[in-house]
Amino acid sequence: MNGTDNPSADRAADRAMEHLDEMTCLLYIERQLDRGRAQEVSTHAQECGVCRTLLRAMERESRLLTRAMLEEEEALPARLAQFQERARRSLQWIWGVAFGLAATGAYALYTSYIEPWQQKLDQAGFGGSNLLNLLIFQGAFWKGWQSMITLLEVLAMLTLGGFGFAFFRRRVRRGSVLALVLAGFCGVAALAVPAAASVTEFRHVDTAEVGPGETIKSDIFLFCHHARIDGTVEGDVYLFAQDASVSGHVKGDVIAFVQSLRVSGQVDGNIRTFANNLTLTGHVTRNVLIFAEVMNLDATGKIDGSLTSFLASLHLDGPVGRDLLFFAANANIAGPVGGGIRGKGDTLSIRPTAEVAGPIRYEGNNPPDVSPQAKLASPVEYHKIEHKRPYEEGGYYIWQVIWMAAFVLFGLVLFQLMPGFSKEAVGNTERYGASAGLGVLVMFGVPIAAVIACVTVVGLFIGISTLFVWYAALHYAQIVVGAAVGQWIMGRTNETWPLIGRMAVGVVIVRLCTTIPHAGGWVKFGVILWGVGAISLALYRRFQPSIAPGLPSGPVVPPSLPANTTIGGVQPA
Amino acid sequence: MSAPGKTEPTEAIARARAGDAEAWGELYREFAPAIFRFCRRALPTREDAEDATMEIFMKLRDKLIQYDQTRSFSAWLYKVAANHCWDLLRRRKTRQDKETGDLENVPLEHPDPNQLEKLIEQRTSEEVRRALGKLGSRARMALVMRYYSDMSYDEIADALGVRRAFVGVVLLRARHELRQALGETSVLAAGGAS
Repeated sequence: MNGTDNPSADRAADRAMEHLDEMTCLLYIERQLDRGRAQEVSTHAQECGVCRTLLRAMERESRLLTRAMLEEEEALPARLAQFQERARRSLQWIWGVAFGLAATGAYALYTSYIEPWQQKLDQAGFGGSNLLNLLIFQGAFWKGWQSMITLLEVLAMLTLGGFGFAFFRRRVRRGSVLALVLAGFCGVAALAVPAAASVTEFRHVDTAEVGPGETIKSDIFLFCHHARIDGTVEGDVYLFAQDASVSGHVKGDVIAFVQSLRVSGQVDGNIRTFANNLTLTGHVTRNVLIFAEVMNLDATGKIDGSLTSFLASLHLDGPVGRDLLFFAANANIAGPVGGGIRGKGDTLSIRPTAEVAGPIRYEGNNPPDVSPQAKLASPVEYHKIEHKRPYEEGGYYIWQVIWMAAFVLFGLVLFQLMPGFSKEAVGNTERYGASAGLGVLVMFGVPIAAVIACVTVVGLFIGISTLFVWYAALHYAQIVVGAAVGQWIMGRTNETWPLIGRMAVGVVIVRLCTTIPHAGGWVKFGVILWGVGAISLALYRRFQPSIAPGLPSGPVVPPSLPANTTIGGVQPA
Repeated sequence: MSAPGKTEPTEAIARARAGDAEAWGELYREFAPAIFRFCRRALPTREDAEDATMEIFMKLRDKLIQYDQTRSFSAWLYKVAANHCWDLLRRRKTRQDKETGDLENVPLEHPDPNQLEKLIEQRTSEEVRRALGKLGSRARMALVMRYYSDMSYDEIADALGVRRAFVGVVLLRARHELRQALGETSVLAAGGAS
């Protein structure tokens, strides 16, 4: 109420001077005045027609506003009514894309890399043993793993089961269904384990050996510090040991994860080993695949098949029946090789006693040291490895620009295809801790889980698909972070096209930062972790919605509404 | 803030907090239409309202654990919705905000009560809804929070990030903006009481 300094003036004029202001009227009808002030306003309104009219008009205005807002002139959109259905469809869409990408990726991988490589190997003289087939497609590579399936398969099943449980956790309410699923897993595991165990022997001691007169009719697994095979093993030998020696007769394969392996006996199958060093003085009827620091094929040793090696140092004094493929810092060849040689390394020495029946292709830092006495089918084809800093090459910058454009294009397509998901992922970048933490987990956990899943036939498809999605996510992550950076610079937006513009700006900045010498790699790593985490969070939320189906499509329930839309009067004390 | 005579869905909330999808469905069926209308009033376009409604319910899944069951669920729900919508509008930094910012300093003219009454009588709900769409973000948001979801001055102050004492000013200015949008401000101002 406005005050006045003129008590002697006309009473009506006084009242006119003391009209309630609009704010006081609003607060009065909204019951926001204290009791004393509300009483004053009420008293004044009883005496003043102008203020009474204003109060009444504002009350009616309030009612009109409330009525206008509460009227249900629009039905609930079908999109909202089918929220659950949509969420489910979006999930199927994700899996559809994943499988589609996986299939496309597998086809592209085969046609772009595997097939040409296979042809090149054939042309290079490796066709005799067909290394690629040997490694990947033929039974030799996989055969040895069949008996290990018991352990890995259970592990893979548990992993898949874990994923399944996590995924269906919110959907599966009834304990009985959950129990059934778990029972199913247990049943499968129970069936798998005894069947394999019945034909496999496990020995887990400090020193394990198969004595000279002993014959093992099945496969054997040895987990120990020192392993000796002096007897006969009719199946495969699996060695997990510090040092191991095979002086007996192994009719299957030798799969070894050891520090030091010495083979002086006979192996009818293949040797595949991850070791520190391998000394071979015995006879291997088939092929050798080795990842090690040092390998020595003694003059008394012999490999009838091919040798594929990834080593620091390779010494061949004995014969290799077929082709030799090596990636070794230093390679010394003094024995006969029945096929061709293809290698890459620092130095290559071909001694006078060497005999090579096929072509020799060598890529290295230094020219090969070839003895004139060596008997070679053709001269060594040598290519020097060029170590040039990428920053010094003009093409590097052109490629960077091309990559930037490709990323922006990729981002544009993704933001158009799934704007909601992309916005959510970009928004999640602001949850730094969660994004980084989840990024680390997904970055390292997913490939491990996918590889484990690949062990099973069913899991192979899921594992490869997951790996492809994971790989795509690494690139998508840079786009998401780019969009976040763009938003920092140009301000936030929720519209798709402005967001794409910000993404383009941000991607260019991020890509520029990743090209900084030395620090660029770490920047890229951080960006990927951050982005992958943000995407994973968004994906997690997409997996989460489980609003029940069957929502009504029309206006059904009146909202919980303002209780006091009529006004006036004194606020209760 | 609950509708009179309407009980709180306590059981459904408890089950939803435990991860029961059916309970979520119940809550969604019950509250989605109201929240959609809230968003429809507060946000500029229907698409925005649809997106926001879904985002609010997605957000709710994470936030439900924070809900204090001794308080009204619908009040809490509207608070979440208001915060979400206002956050959305603020992020956009629309031109209306800037215009509204300029208007903050313009003194309000006192309306003629008779003209105001006449205006209110003549206008329909449909016209008011159309006029609402022409208001600045803050004005619209304030009116929606107050007259749709019946939020208290404290809650409005909290959502808009202003002092409680300023809420009345925001609402009054919003009403003036609305009257102006309804096309009668000049008539009202001309006959303002002294």
